[in-house]
Amino acid sequence: MKKKYFIGLIILQLSFFNLINGQNTSTKSGQVITVQPKIMVIPYTKEGEDLRTILENDANKRIAITKIKEAFDTRGFTTVDFIAKLKSAKDNNVFTTDNQSDIKTQIIQMSGADIYVQAEVIAEKGQTGSSVKLILTAYEVSTGNSLSNKVGESGRFYTEDYNKLSSKAVESCVEDFLNIMQSKFNDIVNNGKSIIVDISFDAGSQYKMSSEIGSDKLPLSDQIEMWMEKNAFKNNYHIQGTTDLKMIFDDVKIPLKDQSTGNNYNPNKFALELFKFFKGLGLQPAKDIKGSTIYITIK
Amino acid sequence: MKTNKLLLYFIFAFILFSSSCSKKTIPFASASAEVNFLSENDGTITMRALGIGANESEAFTNAVFNAFDVLFFRGLPESQQKNPLVGTNESEERLKNKDYFDNFYRSRFQTFVMSQIPTSEIISLNNGQKSIAIDIKINLTALRKDLEQNNIIRKFGF
Repeated sequence: MKKKYFIGLIILQLSFFNLINGQNTSTKSGQVITVQPKIMVIPYTKEGEDLRTILENDANKRIAITKIKEAFDTRGFTTVDFIAKLKSAKDNNVFTTDNQSDIKTQIIQMSGADIYVQAEVIAEKGQTGSSVKLILTAYEVSTGNSLSNKVGESGRFYTEDYNKLSSKAVESCVEDFLNIMQSKFNDIVNNGKSIIVDISFDAGSQYKMSSEIGSDKLPLSDQIEMWMEKNAFKNNYHIQGTTDLKMIFDDVKIPLKDQSTGNNYNPNKFALELFKFFKGLGLQPAKDIKGSTIYITIK
Repeated sequence: MKTNKLLLYFIFAFILFSSSCSKKTIPFASASAEVNFLSENDGTITMRALGIGANESEAFTNAVFNAFDVLFFRGLPESQQKNPLVGTNESEERLKNKDYFDNFYRSRFQTFVMSQIPTSEIISLNNGQKSIAIDIKINLTALRKDLEQNNIIRKFGF
């Protein structure tokens, strides 16, 4: 009898432990890999500078860019190769204008990069030696939000080897630069990523933002804001402005993963929800998605 | 009589359960966080750390633990690792990843130490404890990768 009780209690205890361990394992194995952002490292260009020849003529810039990409590689992250994109853009005659800043924008758009890192290399020569300064800035393409900013310095040396100085300037700040970027990524994981929502009307549309629609006959702009309040991640959104013909949300947070299924979430899925909302109001919307910007046109 | 026996079995089972669940002591470093940045190069970081302990050996080990603690939970000003590798909420992070940190401070920390050289004589403090300063060089790239592989921190990206 004693033995039976004892064995029974041991079995009970073991099964309790298995239950706890089993829960831990399933939590750990239930991770969904999130789609990573595309990052491109580009050189800084002044107004009027030829972006196509600037890299070919300036070895310091090429070294700086390669060193920055190397730092990303060390962290196990693959960047979009700017030089390859530049060549492919040239081969495909993508550039249609002589305006250099437009070319930069075109490359960023063509590459599909979510984030671009801009590197400005400043070489100086003085009586006390030579030095290279580096200004690194990371931007989110969709919103223009700054993700990380750092200034690196090589220190001053009696040398003409600017390539080595460029290398040293990158090494002096790139780790810290990546650490700050990672802390911003962690913030995106916790608080959602930014998208822009642009709502306008077709030329022949009978509706305006002040049109009273829906079962509760509220102005359309208020209906939209109420929906946004419910659907933006953690109620986080910002209205840039509202007129009778347009409403722009310049920063709407959406989650990286679907809150109910745990699958990856993207602007396209958010646009679909928005599309359904307008349909529900009895409107005829058209949606267009370009990167992280959603354009809704009400017919 | 039968009820007493049953009660005894339950007490025995409870003791067995609570002993297996009890917290194992993490070898926390001493409260001192006197760790200063010396240099860094290509994935390594060198620091000067102070350790206090009951004897020379314990003081030395605590200096090493202090160096790792600062990298994990404080960040090191003047270096490129200004942000902590793991997070500032030390107690929560230790509790969340108890197995990893138990195992790390038991023996694995040694695999990330490239060199550890005493830079001071052992000093006897007023309270009878000993203090020592060491220069310690840590393989930061490998340490970060290890934290990533064990899901303590996120890999670069989302």
